[in-house]
Formats: sequence, structure tokens, C-alpha cells
Amino acid sequence: MKRAPIIKNRKKRLTAMQKLELNSRNLNSAVSTLKEQKKKVKALLLQSQKIKKASENYAAKTDVISISAHQIRTSLSAIKWIIEMFLGGDLGKMTVEQENLLRKAHENNERAIMVVSELLLMNKTEDIIEKQYIFSPLDMVALVEDSIFNFSGEAFARGIEVIFLKPGKEFPKAKVDKEKLLIVLHNLMDNAIKYSNAHGKIFIVLKEENGFIQFSIKDTGVVVSEEGKKRLFEKFYRDREAMRKELVGSGIGLYTIRKIVERHGGEIWFESGQNMGTTFFFTIPIFKQESLHSI
Amino acid sequence: MAKTILIIEDDDFLSGLEATKLKKRGYEVLTAASGADALKLIDSKVKIDLILLDLLLPDIDGFMVLEKIRDNKALRPIPTIVFSNLSEEKDIEHVKKLGISNFMIKSNFTLDELLERVKELIGE
Repeated sequence: MKRAPIIKNRKKRLTAMQKLELNSRNLNSAVSTLKEQKKKVKALLLQSQKIKKASENYAAKTDVISISAHQIRTSLSAIKWIIEMFLGGDLGKMTVEQENLLRKAHENNERAIMVVSELLLMNKTEDIIEKQYIFSPLDMVALVEDSIFNFSGEAFARGIEVIFLKPGKEFPKAKVDKEKLLIVLHNLMDNAIKYSNAHGKIFIVLKEENGFIQFSIKDTGVVVSEEGKKRLFEKFYRDREAMRKELVGSGIGLYTIRKIVERHGGEIWFESGQNMGTTFFFTIPIFKQESLHSI
Repeated sequence: MAKTILIIEDDDFLSGLEATKLKKRGYEVLTAASGADALKLIDSKVKIDLILLDLLLPDIDGFMVLEKIRDNKALRPIPTIVFSNLSEEKDIEHVKKLGISNFMIKSNFTLDELLERVKELIGE
């Protein structure tokens, strides 16, 4: 068997030992790094399990709230329809006193129905705006059409015509978190119908402007007060002109949608005045071919 | 000949009120209190001109009933109004994907408003 050559030269021996020491240090460093990485992976797994659990709890909570709201609404629907049958004369003539009492009951029942809707909205939006935003390219025309569909029943019931001035065929896609942008559209549609005069018109326009997509919705109803013009997007603020038309409201809608639009990198504003109703505008960035990311 | 409306609703009281109003307007009314009963009626090939469908039903839910209707060529053209107190976006999206163009939240509408929508879809 060949023996390892003895390194006779002292200088060469020292260099070899230094190299050995360096390699040993590098090896220790690599082992430490691996241990660190292992700790990080463990921490990430734990976090992922926590997120999964939180997500399951959130889904369970949402389901409980949705079913509870459904049960309450079922009872309120029954009361609503019975009262309307009385008031509509379906169940015979009533005295004036009976009619007045039933009208009061009807008013209170309608208020209860709205409170349920507001509570559902508050519950949904407070949770959603804290969730991670995930952006993807989206066809805004289709999204707006979906929103109009969702409110077609309410608009029809009030005799309100919703007119969507669609842009031309080559309309760019928007960079959007769909779930959150739907909240913006639904909130604006809901307000436009709620605060419009019966048998009025609502105009919706989509256009491209300075690298952004601009959405506007105009109603011909309630005009925002002077105080409201400064405070409308504040949390829980409700304009007195809006309250004259609709007493029930959480005041959280516009605050929430401003947060959502700003997280998208856009802006939201409104114009309101006598004989012109109120128009809300918001902008959303146009989708460009860059890497999609989450915030 | 009178038009026939199938009400699929598990709450007897609500379906009774809906039926009373529709009959007063001259419609024939059939009722089913569960998804399974609804499918039996539909399979019996009785003539139906419009379906009024609740979503939360015992046994087979309204979404499954809707899928079965959409899968059936003969039933697909029948106008369907989803009439429910569920209002989550995911429920509305689910219903839209199944091709439904009418979703009404019960507590937001009077029976007269429901009648107007029915009349718009199938006449009197």
C-alpha cells in the first residue's frame, strides 16, 4: 500500500493545515446555516398550520353568520308579506287605526331587514379588507355587468333604469383583486339605487384615462351636504341628506371602499350638486405584463 | 290556458303566501317542500312554465336542483327565479354560473314585486 507523502516542507505543511482549518470552518458554517434553515422551515410550517386553522375558523364563522342572517330574514320576510297582504286589502277592509298601526309595523320591519343587511356587510368588509390582496388581470366590463345583474331586482323594484355606457371592444384589462373590487362596485351600486329617486336613471361609464381605468356611477337622487363633502369617506360618518332618505346605514361602506381603491393604487372621489345628483368616480391601474404579486 | 309555476320552498308558510298571491293572479301553482320532491315533480313531465326556487332546502339543496335542471335539455329553457334569503357573493356567483338570470333576496321584495317579475318573464 502506498503511504501518503509526508509533507516535508514546513511552509507547505502550514498552508495545508490552514486550508484544512478553513474547510473545517466552512463546514461548520454550512451546518449552522442548515440548522438555521431547518428552524425557519419549522417556523413556516407552524405559521402555515395557524393560518389554515384561522382560515377554517373564519369560514366556519362566516357560515354561521350567513345561516343566522338567513333565518332572521326568513322570519322578517314572513312578517313583511303578511303586513303587505293586510295593507293591500287581500284580507278584507281595516279600520283607519288598524291601518296606521300596520304601517308602523311595516316600517319597523323594513328597518330590521336593512339592519340585517348592514350587519352582514360590516362583517364581510371588515374581514375582507384585512386579508391579503391578490392581483390578477380582469375584464372590468364583465365585472361591472355582473354587478348590474346582482342589483337588477332592486333596480327593477324601484323602477330605476341602469344604463351602462360600455367602452369600445379593445378595452384594457385592469390589475385587480376581484373579491375586493366587487365590494367597491356593489357598495356604489347599492348606494346609487338606495339614494336615487324612484323611476330615476343611473348612468355607469368605464373609460381609459392616463394609464388608469376610470369607473363612474351617476345617480339623480340625493345631493351630498356641504359637511358631507368634507367627511363622506370617514368611518361611520353618514351624511344627513342620505339619512333623510334612508335612516339605516352603518356608515362603513365608503370608508371601506376608499381603503380598497387606494390599496389598488387608485383614487376615489365624487361630485354632487343640485340638479345633477351625485357621481362617484374611482380609478384602477391598467394591467401591464409584469410579474403578478401579492401585497 | 293558465301558466303553471312550481314553487320549491321548504317553509310551508312562505310557500303558502306565495301560492295564494300567484293563484289570485290566475296562475296554476305546484309546490315542493324539498329538492327531492321537486325533482320527482319535474321528472313526472308535468307542464311547468316557471320555477321559483329557494336555495336552502332539506336533502338536496337548491344548487343541486338547479344543476339537474340545467343538465336536462327539456327543462333548461324554463325560466327560473332563485328566490332566497342567502346573499353571499359565492352563492350568487354559483347561481350565475348555472345560467340563472334572476336572483331575488326574499326579504328585499314584496309579493307584488315578485308577481311583476313573474309577469315579465312568462306573461299572465
